[in-house]
Amino acid sequence: MDSLNIPATGRTPAVAFDFASGHLRMSGESYPDDVATFFGPVFTALRAYLADADPTPIHFDMELLYFNSSSAKVLMNILQMLEAAAKAGRPVSVVWSYEDNDESMRELGEDFSEDLQHVAFSLRNVPVGAIG
Amino acid sequence: MLAQQYAAIKRDLDQQGIVFSFSGYLSEGILYSLGEALREKMTLADTDAPTVRRVFAVFVEQMQNIIRYSAEKVTGATTRAVELSAGMVTIGMEGNTVFIVCGNTVRNDDVPRLRERLDHLRSLDREGIKSYYREQLREEPEDGSRGATIGLIEIARRASEPIDYDFDAMDDERSFFCLKVRI
Repeated sequence: MDSLNIPATGRTPAVAFDFASGHLRMSGESYPDDVATFFGPVFTALRAYLADADPTPIHFDMELLYFNSSSAKVLMNILQMLEAAAKAGRPVSVVWSYEDNDESMRELGEDFSEDLQHVAFSLRNVPVGAIG
Repeated sequence: MLAQQYAAIKRDLDQQGIVFSFSGYLSEGILYSLGEALREKMTLADTDAPTVRRVFAVFVEQMQNIIRYSAEKVTGATTRAVELSAGMVTIGMEGNTVFIVCGNTVRNDDVPRLRERLDHLRSLDREGIKSYYREQLREEPEDGSRGATIGLIEIARRASEPIDYDFDAMDDERSFFCLKVRI
């Protein structure tokens, strides 16, 4: 399956899904003027990838500096899709990065991971300026 | 006369500590530009990054509430879909606290439900807001709300004090709604 690469804009994150290696990454800021338009193609690609019986372990790097509440719902859906894949037996790890002093982003990581049972989820503290 | 009239408006805003103000038709484009100006202004004033992000987050949710729910709206399509919603946004300082006040027209029919949501949020402490957020994150959005509940929770969560709101009846159909958030 082809990889999905969407460069970041002022208000949408960079999406780099390298499906062949199983390395997926989202970074930057997310407050699109229309969430459905931006995330539609991301979902389509991810859904198709997860539907494949590909046993490649998935590693998802979540490196967002800011996302609005409409994006929050979308991110939750992505995590739920990953959880379903992990439950079905595919190894999935998610690393949620947050910058030093960014208590809000760390807390959000806890909120989002609360009910993940099959995904290996971890929080990663990084220096200011290291992500995004 | 002209300068005097507008100087009076400016003085009034200054006296209330208002640094940014916008009244009129808001759009996603204006949200983006005002938001950038707000972040630049705060960064130049040496505000620490997490505070800038908190203020910005509240600003985005408040603006999107107006854009989506203002009862005074023009929609249509020119070269792309356009959604212009009347309202106002002001951002200012009270001592060391940043505040954002947004105002827009709402339909009277929507007032009780909005009041109920805001009162509920005001009754919650930090932990309560946090678990309400977690719960709503996993809920399907209500019909026609486009995610209003989680947006308000996000605002309450980033605020440093309980959110303030007020309604002023305009006529049988509409009221002016104001939301003040201190960060």
